[in-house]
Amino acid sequence: MVTAPDAELVRRVLAGEVEAFAALVERYRPRCARFAVHMLGDAADAEEVVQEAFLRAYRALPRCRQPDRFGAWLLRILANRCRTARASRSRRERLVLLDDGVVGMAAVAHPEDRSAWREAIAVALARLAPEQREAFLLKHVEELDYGEMAEITGAGVSALKMRVKRACERLRELLQESDVRGS
Amino acid sequence: MSEDRDELIGRVALVLRGAPALSPDLDARIMARVRRESVPGTWRAAWTAVRRPRELHVSPLAALAVAAGIAGLVLAAAVLSPARRGVPAASLARALAPDSLTPVQFVLVMPSAESVALVGDFNDWNVGAQLLQQASAEGVWSVTVPLAPGRYRYTFVVNGNRWIADPAAPTTVEDDFGRPNSIITVAGRGT
Repeated sequence: MVTAPDAELVRRVLAGEVEAFAALVERYRPRCARFAVHMLGDAADAEEVVQEAFLRAYRALPRCRQPDRFGAWLLRILANRCRTARASRSRRERLVLLDDGVVGMAAVAHPEDRSAWREAIAVALARLAPEQREAFLLKHVEELDYGEMAEITGAGVSALKMRVKRACERLRELLQESDVRGS
Repeated sequence: MSEDRDELIGRVALVLRGAPALSPDLDARIMARVRRESVPGTWRAAWTAVRRPRELHVSPLAALAVAAGIAGLVLAAAVLSPARRGVPAASLARALAPDSLTPVQFVLVMPSAESVALVGDFNDWNVGAQLLQQASAEGVWSVTVPLAPGRYRYTFVVNGNRWIADPAAPTTVEDDFGRPNSIITVAGRGT
């Protein structure tokens, strides 16, 4: 595992050492993949946007003004790619998200099974408004502070706090309905 | 009750922090695509970027872009007058350049702004990539960006967190989160 700081890796890439970018991919791909999968709800779409985000970051690397914060910069590019991907496949998604009964159905199929809990979470997450899902993932899964979230999303801190609050309320509502706790 | 609720969200987050099942060769595929690129920041990379195929609208949108530029110049002149001081407005103006990149001037009039950034398809929506400079005490902010022919979405980010579509742009669309984006079409030479 490469331990060099982001800024050094960025400098090496810009100096012509393309393979230094592999260390950045290894470092940030897990977070990017996780965020994209949960934002899009589809592994194939997530892989595509993650690849696209890294490629765009590579091309735009000279414009990365804070190379020590490469991760946040990359996540901003990825968040935008996710929005674009969602817009282009919104019709397909509407067919997948059926109705309010879906969460309950996913939950009661195998109430003792942890996979039912995971499925219930995935379905509940998919039913959040996109901006609420984005805010929830950045806050509670990626554990960013609101300042970082504002930088990534372009939204104000107060708006983000409201989105997180509403996302949590909605998730509690959807999951408590299902009575599946995954314990 | 509150603790139960927090515990529920905590357990949801814990599940979501697990690694998703994606292709094990994803890193390798990313690097394979990266290796096909030129080293970023080199002249060759810049030339490759300019030559990269883009959606190009020749007519009538090309004419519309020119019209938008002219309208933007007129509007910028209008809002610079003392009578219009303090009214949020923006303009974009473009001038044909002898090479493939067209310098496009983006202007926003907003006396109350402390900072204005330009984000769009051309800079991967990077808030730090193109900062507008305050050109006058009247709150006129501008930046000029060389753009290759193509159609771009863009918007202004005021004070780091307020997204504002260009009031002078003829076309505004909302992104997936309902935030306003403007559209500019940069025509190629001879169009």
